[in-house]
Formats: sequence, C-alpha cells, structure tokens
Amino acid sequence: MLVHIETIFRNLNGWGLPVIMLLIGVIEFAYGLYENHWTKNEKVLDIVCFVVPRIVVRPFVAYVGLLLFPRLLPEAKNIFAWVPFWWGFAIIAVADDLTQYWYHRLHHQLPWLWRFHRTHHSAPYMGMAMASRQNIIYTIFFSQIYLTTTLVYLGLGYPVLFVTGVKALITTGAHSSIKWDKPFYTIKWLKPIGWVMERLISTPATHHAHHADTSDDGVGYYKGNFGNMFFIWDLIFGTGIITRQYPSGYGIKHYKQEEWYAQFLWPIFKSKKEGSELSANGPMVGDALPEKVPAVVAGS
Amino acid sequence: MKTPVVTQKRILRDVIISIFIYALPVVLMLLSFKISGQRPWKDKPNSTTIQK
Repeated sequence: MLVHIETIFRNLNGWGLPVIMLLIGVIEFAYGLYENHWTKNEKVLDIVCFVVPRIVVRPFVAYVGLLLFPRLLPEAKNIFAWVPFWWGFAIIAVADDLTQYWYHRLHHQLPWLWRFHRTHHSAPYMGMAMASRQNIIYTIFFSQIYLTTTLVYLGLGYPVLFVTGVKALITTGAHSSIKWDKPFYTIKWLKPIGWVMERLISTPATHHAHHADTSDDGVGYYKGNFGNMFFIWDLIFGTGIITRQYPSGYGIKHYKQEEWYAQFLWPIFKSKKEGSELSANGPMVGDALPEKVPAVVAGS
Repeated sequence: MKTPVVTQKRILRDVIISIFIYALPVVLMLLSFKISGQRPWKDKPNSTTIQK
C-alpha cells in the first residue's frame, strides 16, 4: 500500500500535477467558467507562466543547489537523514508553508513588493489557467524553493516529496473555479468536516476571497487570506476571513490589461498603458487606501 | 509610498510569533525522543524511506 502511495507522489511531483491541472483546466473551459475574460493577452500570459518556471526556473534552482551545496557544505549532506519520516513531514510542512505565507503576505503589505505579485491578481477569473500566473521575479525568489532545496540536501528529501505533493493538490484545488468545497457548507453531515477543513487548509471559498476585486461585499478580502496550503496561519495572525461564500468578481479594479510581457517580466519590460502600475512612471499601488483592521468571521 | 506604522508593528509581532511556530515541531520531536528514550541519530537513516 505504502509503495503505491510513494509511486503516486513521485509521479505527482513529476508529470502528474501538470496533467491534473490541464485536465481540470479543460473541464473549467468546457463549462464556460472563464466566461469571456480569457482574451488572447491573458492566454499568452497564463501559458508562458505555466511553462517557463517548469522548464527553466525550477530545474535551474535544483541544478545550482546540487552544484553549490556540496562545495559550500560538504559535511552537511544528509546530516538530518535520521529524522523519522512523520517528524520530517511536520517540520517541512510548517517550514515550507509558513515561509510561503510570509513571502505572500509581504508582497501584499509592503507597497514596494506589490508589483512583483500583481500579475497573479490581475486575472479577472479563477481557475487552472491563472494558478501558475506569476511575475518571473516573484517566481525566481519564491523563497520556499530554496528552503526545500536546502532541506533535501540535508537529508529530508523523502518527506519533501510528500509535503510538496499534498501542498500542490491543496493549492491547485483552492485556485480552481470548480467550487468543490460547497457541499461541505450545505450538506448537514459534511458540515463538521467543512468547519475543520476551512480552518486548516485553503479552500476555493477562502482563496477566491483573496482574489476578489473588492472587499465592499463582505465576501472579498484581498488584503488577507494569505495562506497557501494551510489557512491556520491566517487564523493565528488575524489576517483571515471565512464567509463560505464566493466573490462576484475577481482581479483588480484598476487593471488595464497590461501587455503579457510587461506582466511577466516587469521591471525588465514596462507597460505602455498610461497610468498602469507597470508603466515607467506608474503608481506603486494603484488603489492605495487606508488599511482596514482585519477580523476573523466564523462561517455559519 | 510607505508601509503604515500599524502594519509594520503587526509584521514585527507576527514574525516573532513565527519563530516559535517554526521551532515547535522540532521541539516536540526532541521532547518525544526524551520521553521515549529514542536516539535515532545513532541508528541508520530512516527519513529516506517509509517503514514498509
């Protein structure tokens, strides 16, 4: 049984996840869940962001890691290989996801970082198409890539395999435009599971709220719900909101359909759209407003 | 454009809390070794495979 699980996770981290994403993406597209928002510019941006990190950035980081670590820390290789599997799993799950929570939160709360993350929020739709959509600088400095590469070198590669697999499934599910979590809020016997689930991990309801284009409806909360695999960080730090509802609109209000290359490669390439955050003299944050005090609201 | 002072203070507070959260699974693991008397670092590596 465990051998089969191991095989599943090995394949998931290789070709499995991209195939799952493509299949879900086809279903989403077939059901019209992108409505008429998936224009040519958005398509090119989404596809470039899906392909480039997988064939360039991640292999490059792994290669450099394998090259540098044996030279810099030759004695440290597999130094923590004695750590029991489930303890390794817990240590990496916390280290990886809490680091990503911080990376993500700081890109929202420090104005000078916002434009590196803006590309992920500019999509006026949710789904597999935009799940990988990030500016190249955000992807290159994706902090937990380096953390997990280091932990693999130190001997925790096996737990990393499982943590990254579980995390990929959760974050992919949270970005999907298929609202698979809805039965957990509506069917009576599933509600207790839903109560725990929405506090423990990111769901479409909580993560869609993060991608909302407004917080005026009491559902959208783009200044919070930063969690990726775990939602508990948002509960601990008071940056989360749970409503069990889905926002009516996604994206950013001041989106100017900036050119795909500017969104992908800013600040190397800048947008020609006047007033854009990504233009040469554009504002750092287009909708700068006084910050509201976040509050955690339990679902009914 | 500057980060509001209230946000800066919250970030600092939450970073300090995070240090304890990062350490928690490591501390609990060491505590479990102390209680059970296990010394896995003296045995062969076991996080590279699941017990089958």
